Amino acid sequence: MRILLQSLALTAAGAAAGLAMNAASPRPARLSEPVRSAAEAAGACKLPGAAGVAPRITVQEATPLCIACSAAFVDARSAVDFAAGHVVGAIHVPPGPVPLQALLHLERFRTVVVYDGDPGSAQAEAVAAALRDRGMTDVRVLAGSWGAWQAAGAPGESGPCATCGTGLTFGGGR
Amino acid sequence: MIRWLLLAARLFLAGIFLWAAATKLPDMATFATDVANYRLLPPALVPWAASAVVGVEVVVGLALLAGVWLRPAALAGALLLAFFTGGLSQALLRGIDLTCGCFGGNDPATWLTVVRDLAMLVPAVAVAWRGGGANR
Repeated sequence: MRILLQSLALTAAGAAAGLAMNAASPRPARLSEPVRSAAEAAGACKLPGAAGVAPRITVQEATPLCIACSAAFVDARSAVDFAAGHVVGAIHVPPGPVPLQALLHLERFRTVVVYDGDPGSAQAEAVAAALRDRGMTDVRVLAGSWGAWQAAGAPGESGPCATCGTGLTFGGGR
Repeated sequence: MIRWLLLAARLFLAGIFLWAAATKLPDMATFATDVANYRLLPPALVPWAASAVVGVEVVVGLALLAGVWLRPAALAGALLLAFFTGGLSQALLRGIDLTCGCFGGNDPATWLTVVRDLAMLVPAVAVAWRGGGANR
Protein backbone atom coordinates (compact mmCIF):
# COMPACT_ATOMS: atom_id res chain seq x y z
CA MET A 1 0.00 0.00 0.00
CA ARG A 2 2.87 2.33 0.85
CA ILE A 3 4.44 1.76 -2.56
CA LEU A 4 1.15 2.47 -4.27
CA LEU A 5 0.72 5.74 -2.39
CA GLN A 6 4.29 6.77 -3.16
CA SER A 7 3.68 5.89 -6.79
CA LEU A 8 0.59 8.10 -6.85
CA ALA A 9 2.56 10.90 -5.21
CA LEU A 10 5.26 10.58 -7.90
CA THR A 11 2.62 10.67 -10.61
CA ALA A 12 1.00 13.76 -9.13
CA ALA A 13 4.38 15.47 -8.78
CA GLY A 14 5.20 14.52 -12.37
CA ALA A 15 1.91 15.88 -13.65
CA ALA A 16 2.51 19.18 -11.87
CA ALA A 17 6.09 19.34 -13.14
CA GLY A 18 4.80 18.61 -16.63
CA LEU A 19 2.73 21.79 -16.60
CA ALA A 20 5.85 23.80 -15.81
CA MET A 21 7.83 21.98 -18.49
CA ASN A 22 5.09 22.66 -21.01
CA ALA A 23 5.21 26.36 -20.17
CA ALA A 24 8.96 26.33 -20.78
CA SER A 25 8.67 24.48 -24.10
CA PRO A 26 9.57 26.48 -27.25
CA ARG A 27 6.23 25.34 -28.68
CA PRO A 28 3.92 24.71 -25.71
CA ALA A 29 0.51 23.07 -25.84
CA ARG A 30 -1.97 25.85 -25.10
CA LEU A 31 -3.81 24.73 -21.99
CA SER A 32 -6.72 27.08 -22.54
CA GLU A 33 -7.44 25.79 -26.04
CA PRO A 34 -9.09 22.43 -26.76
CA VAL A 35 -7.02 20.18 -29.02
CA ARG A 36 -9.07 18.12 -31.46
CA SER A 37 -8.02 15.04 -33.34
CA ALA A 38 -7.20 15.24 -37.03
CA ALA A 39 -10.44 13.36 -37.75
CA GLU A 40 -12.44 16.20 -36.17
CA ALA A 41 -10.51 18.98 -37.92
CA ALA A 42 -11.99 21.01 -40.74
CA GLY A 43 -11.67 19.28 -44.09
CA ALA A 44 -11.07 15.87 -42.56
CA CYS A 45 -13.78 14.17 -44.62
CA LYS A 46 -11.85 13.90 -47.86
CA LEU A 47 -13.13 11.45 -50.43
CA PRO A 48 -10.50 9.24 -52.08
CA GLY A 49 -9.40 10.88 -55.31
CA ALA A 50 -11.17 14.13 -54.52
CA ALA A 51 -9.48 17.48 -55.01
CA GLY A 52 -7.42 18.98 -52.20
CA VAL A 53 -9.17 19.95 -49.02
CA ALA A 54 -7.29 23.08 -48.03
CA PRO A 55 -9.22 26.31 -48.65
CA ARG A 56 -7.92 28.24 -51.64
CA ILE A 57 -6.76 31.85 -51.66
CA THR A 58 -6.40 33.79 -54.90
CA VAL A 59 -3.33 35.79 -55.87
CA GLN A 60 -5.45 38.95 -55.62
CA GLU A 61 -6.38 38.09 -52.03
CA ALA A 62 -2.92 36.92 -51.03
CA THR A 63 -0.88 39.81 -52.47
CA PRO A 64 -2.00 42.39 -49.86
CA LEU A 65 -1.26 39.86 -47.10
CA CYS A 66 2.27 39.47 -48.48
CA ILE A 67 2.84 43.22 -48.77
CA ALA A 68 1.55 43.81 -45.23
CA CYS A 69 3.46 40.76 -43.88
CA SER A 70 0.22 39.67 -42.24
CA ALA A 71 0.42 36.08 -43.53
CA ALA A 72 3.26 33.61 -43.74
CA PHE A 73 4.08 32.11 -47.12
CA VAL A 74 5.41 28.59 -47.54
CA ASP A 75 7.03 27.35 -50.74
CA ALA A 76 6.58 23.59 -51.15
CA ARG A 77 8.66 23.22 -54.32
CA SER A 78 12.22 21.94 -54.58
CA ALA A 79 15.11 23.94 -53.13
CA VAL A 80 16.36 24.66 -56.66
CA ASP A 81 13.00 26.08 -57.73
CA PHE A 82 12.80 28.06 -54.51
CA ALA A 83 16.22 29.60 -55.11
CA ALA A 84 15.26 30.53 -58.67
CA GLY A 85 12.34 32.61 -57.42
CA HIS A 86 9.70 32.69 -54.70
CA VAL A 87 7.17 34.87 -52.91
CA VAL A 88 8.89 37.62 -50.92
CA GLY A 89 9.50 36.41 -47.36
CA ALA A 90 8.45 32.82 -48.08
CA ILE A 91 10.19 29.96 -46.33
CA HIS A 92 11.00 26.68 -48.01
CA VAL A 93 9.20 23.65 -46.55
CA PRO A 94 9.01 20.65 -48.90
CA PRO A 95 6.53 17.82 -48.24
CA GLY A 96 7.54 15.65 -45.27
CA PRO A 97 8.00 16.32 -41.57
CA VAL A 98 7.75 20.04 -40.82
CA PRO A 99 10.88 21.27 -39.00
CA LEU A 100 10.27 22.74 -35.55
CA GLN A 101 11.97 25.99 -36.54
CA ALA A 102 9.52 26.38 -39.41
CA LEU A 103 6.59 25.80 -37.05
CA LEU A 104 7.91 28.37 -34.59
CA HIS A 105 8.12 30.89 -37.42
CA LEU A 106 4.75 30.10 -38.96
CA GLU A 107 2.71 30.15 -35.76
CA ARG A 108 3.48 33.84 -35.38
CA PHE A 109 1.02 34.40 -38.21
CA ARG A 110 -2.73 33.96 -38.17
CA THR A 111 -2.80 32.81 -41.79
CA VAL A 112 -0.38 30.57 -43.66
CA VAL A 113 -0.40 30.43 -47.46
CA VAL A 114 1.21 27.41 -49.11
CA TYR A 115 2.04 27.12 -52.77
CA ASP A 116 3.99 24.92 -55.16
CA GLY A 117 4.73 24.95 -58.88
CA ASP A 118 1.93 22.68 -60.01
CA PRO A 119 -1.54 24.01 -60.86
CA GLY A 120 -2.92 20.87 -59.14
CA SER A 121 -1.12 21.94 -55.93
CA ALA A 122 -0.45 18.37 -54.80
CA GLN A 123 2.75 19.27 -52.94
CA ALA A 124 1.16 22.36 -51.41
CA GLU A 125 -1.76 20.21 -50.26
CA ALA A 126 0.66 17.78 -48.61
CA VAL A 127 2.45 20.56 -46.75
CA ALA A 128 -0.86 22.22 -45.81
CA ALA A 129 -2.07 18.90 -44.39
CA ALA A 130 1.15 18.52 -42.39
CA LEU A 131 0.73 22.03 -40.98
CA ARG A 132 -2.89 21.31 -40.01
CA ASP A 133 -1.70 18.12 -38.32
CA ARG A 134 0.65 20.30 -36.31
CA GLY A 135 -2.24 22.38 -35.01
CA MET A 136 -2.34 25.27 -37.48
CA THR A 137 -5.93 26.21 -38.21
CA ASP A 138 -5.88 28.81 -41.00
CA VAL A 139 -3.79 27.18 -43.74
CA ARG A 140 -4.68 28.02 -47.34
CA VAL A 141 -3.33 26.93 -50.69
CA LEU A 142 -2.56 29.55 -53.31
CA ALA A 143 -4.88 29.08 -56.29
CA GLY A 144 -2.88 28.79 -59.50
CA SER A 145 0.36 28.21 -57.59
CA TRP A 146 3.64 30.01 -58.28
CA GLY A 147 2.77 30.41 -61.96
CA ALA A 148 -0.26 32.56 -61.15
CA TRP A 149 1.77 34.63 -58.67
CA GLN A 150 4.41 35.34 -61.31
CA ALA A 151 1.86 36.03 -64.03
CA ALA A 152 0.19 38.63 -61.82
CA GLY A 153 3.49 40.37 -61.16
CA ALA A 154 3.07 39.91 -57.41
CA PRO A 155 6.12 40.48 -55.15
CA GLY A 156 8.85 37.91 -55.67
CA GLU A 157 12.51 37.48 -54.88
CA SER A 158 15.20 34.91 -55.56
CA GLY A 159 18.01 33.19 -53.69
CA PRO A 160 18.29 30.29 -51.27
CA CYS A 161 16.23 30.24 -48.10
CA ALA A 162 18.46 32.07 -45.65
CA THR A 163 16.19 31.22 -42.77
CA CYS A 164 15.52 27.57 -43.57
CA GLY A 165 17.20 24.81 -41.65
CA THR A 166 19.37 27.04 -39.48
CA GLY A 167 16.66 28.35 -37.21
CA LEU A 168 18.72 31.49 -36.71
CA THR A 169 16.73 34.27 -38.30
CA PHE A 170 13.33 33.08 -39.39
CA GLY A 171 11.37 36.00 -40.75
CA GLY A 172 14.35 38.33 -40.71
CA GLY A 173 14.21 38.99 -44.42
CA ARG A 174 10.69 40.27 -44.46
CA MET B 1 23.18 -11.93 -11.20
CA ILE B 2 19.55 -10.94 -10.62
CA ARG B 3 20.68 -7.75 -8.93
CA TRP B 4 22.66 -6.77 -11.99
CA LEU B 5 19.78 -7.61 -14.29
CA LEU B 6 17.49 -5.42 -12.18
CA LEU B 7 20.05 -2.63 -12.25
CA ALA B 8 20.25 -2.90 -16.04
CA ALA B 9 16.44 -2.93 -16.29
CA ARG B 10 16.18 0.13 -14.08
CA LEU B 11 18.78 2.12 -16.05
CA PHE B 12 17.24 1.03 -19.35
CA LEU B 13 13.83 2.26 -18.23
CA ALA B 14 15.28 5.51 -16.92
CA GLY B 15 16.92 6.12 -20.29
CA ILE B 16 13.76 5.27 -22.22
CA PHE B 17 11.53 7.57 -20.17
CA LEU B 18 13.97 10.47 -20.20
CA TRP B 19 14.61 10.08 -23.93
CA ALA B 20 10.87 9.93 -24.65
CA ALA B 21 10.32 13.15 -22.71
CA ALA B 22 13.29 14.88 -24.33
CA THR B 23 11.91 14.24 -27.82
CA LYS B 24 8.51 15.70 -26.90
CA LEU B 25 9.47 18.77 -24.88
CA PRO B 26 10.67 20.94 -27.80
CA ASP B 27 7.26 20.65 -29.48
CA MET B 28 4.53 20.05 -26.93
CA ALA B 29 1.85 21.44 -29.28
CA THR B 30 2.50 18.61 -31.72
CA PHE B 31 2.52 16.03 -28.93
CA ALA B 32 -0.86 17.35 -27.77
CA THR B 33 -2.17 16.79 -31.30
CA ASP B 34 -0.78 13.24 -31.21
CA VAL B 35 -2.60 12.66 -27.91
CA ALA B 36 -5.83 14.07 -29.39
CA ASN B 37 -5.58 11.63 -32.28
CA TYR B 38 -6.01 8.71 -29.85
CA ARG B 39 -9.55 10.06 -29.36
CA LEU B 40 -9.67 9.02 -25.74
CA LEU B 41 -10.06 12.38 -24.02
CA PRO B 42 -12.30 15.43 -24.35
CA PRO B 43 -10.42 18.08 -26.42
CA ALA B 44 -10.26 20.46 -23.43
CA LEU B 45 -8.31 17.92 -21.38
CA VAL B 46 -5.84 16.96 -24.12
CA PRO B 47 -3.17 19.67 -23.55
CA TRP B 48 -3.29 19.02 -19.78
CA ALA B 49 -2.90 15.28 -20.29
CA ALA B 50 -0.04 15.76 -22.74
CA SER B 51 1.78 17.95 -20.22
CA ALA B 52 1.15 15.48 -17.42
CA VAL B 53 2.44 12.52 -19.44
CA VAL B 54 5.74 14.24 -20.21
CA GLY B 55 6.13 15.37 -16.60
CA VAL B 56 5.53 11.85 -15.29
CA GLU B 57 8.05 10.48 -17.78
CA VAL B 58 10.67 12.91 -16.52
CA VAL B 59 9.98 12.33 -12.82
CA VAL B 60 9.88 8.54 -13.21
CA GLY B 61 13.04 8.60 -15.34
CA LEU B 62 14.93 10.74 -12.83
CA ALA B 63 13.79 8.64 -9.86
CA LEU B 64 14.88 5.44 -11.58
CA LEU B 65 18.20 6.99 -12.55
CA ALA B 66 18.90 8.40 -9.09
CA GLY B 67 17.66 5.32 -7.24
CA VAL B 68 15.09 7.29 -5.27
CA TRP B 69 11.72 5.63 -4.56
CA LEU B 70 12.68 2.92 -7.01
CA ARG B 71 9.75 0.59 -6.64
CA PRO B 72 7.11 3.38 -6.63
CA ALA B 73 8.80 4.93 -9.67
CA ALA B 74 8.85 1.62 -11.51
CA LEU B 75 5.21 1.06 -10.60
CA ALA B 76 4.28 4.50 -11.94
CA GLY B 77 6.29 3.74 -15.09
CA ALA B 78 4.54 0.40 -15.48
CA LEU B 79 1.13 2.05 -15.11
CA LEU B 80 2.13 4.65 -17.71
CA LEU B 81 3.26 1.92 -20.11
CA ALA B 82 0.02 0.01 -19.49
CA PHE B 83 -1.90 3.20 -20.24
CA PHE B 84 0.08 3.66 -23.48
CA THR B 85 -0.54 0.04 -24.45
CA GLY B 86 -4.25 0.36 -23.80
CA GLY B 87 -4.50 3.65 -25.67
CA LEU B 88 -2.62 2.32 -28.67
CA SER B 89 -4.61 -0.91 -28.76
CA GLN B 90 -8.01 0.79 -28.64
CA ALA B 91 -6.95 3.15 -31.45
CA LEU B 92 -5.74 0.29 -33.63
CA LEU B 93 -8.85 -1.77 -32.92
CA ARG B 94 -11.02 1.19 -33.89
CA GLY B 95 -9.07 1.56 -37.14
CA ILE B 96 -7.69 4.99 -36.27
CA ASP B 97 -4.69 5.87 -38.43
CA LEU B 98 -2.31 7.80 -36.18
CA THR B 99 1.31 8.44 -35.30
CA CYS B 100 2.21 7.04 -31.92
CA GLY B 101 3.83 10.21 -30.56
CA CYS B 102 6.04 7.99 -28.41
CA PHE B 103 9.43 9.49 -29.24
CA GLY B 104 8.48 12.60 -31.23
CA GLY B 105 8.67 12.28 -35.02
CA ASN B 106 6.05 10.74 -37.26
CA ASP B 107 6.35 7.03 -36.53
CA PRO B 108 3.03 5.35 -37.29
CA ALA B 109 1.33 3.41 -34.50
CA THR B 110 1.17 -0.30 -35.31
CA TRP B 111 0.76 -3.53 -33.40
CA LEU B 112 4.57 -3.66 -33.27
CA THR B 113 4.41 -0.49 -31.19
CA VAL B 114 2.04 -2.28 -28.82
CA VAL B 115 4.44 -5.23 -28.60
CA ARG B 116 7.31 -2.84 -27.87
CA ASP B 117 5.38 -1.22 -25.03
CA LEU B 118 4.46 -4.63 -23.65
CA ALA B 119 8.14 -5.63 -23.81
CA MET B 120 9.06 -2.55 -21.79
CA LEU B 121 6.42 -3.46 -19.22
CA VAL B 122 8.46 -6.55 -18.29
CA PRO B 123 11.46 -4.70 -16.79
CA ALA B 124 9.14 -2.10 -15.25
CA VAL B 125 7.13 -4.76 -13.45
CA ALA B 126 10.32 -6.58 -12.44
CA VAL B 127 11.79 -3.45 -10.83
CA ALA B 128 8.46 -2.59 -9.20
CA TRP B 129 8.31 -6.12 -7.79
CA ARG B 130 11.90 -6.66 -6.74
CA GLY B 131 13.56 -3.25 -6.57
CA GLY B 132 16.33 -1.77 -8.67
CA GLY B 133 19.39 -3.95 -8.18
CA ALA B 134 22.96 -3.12 -7.16
CA ASN B 135 22.63 0.13 -5.22
CA ARG B 136 19.28 -0.27 -3.52
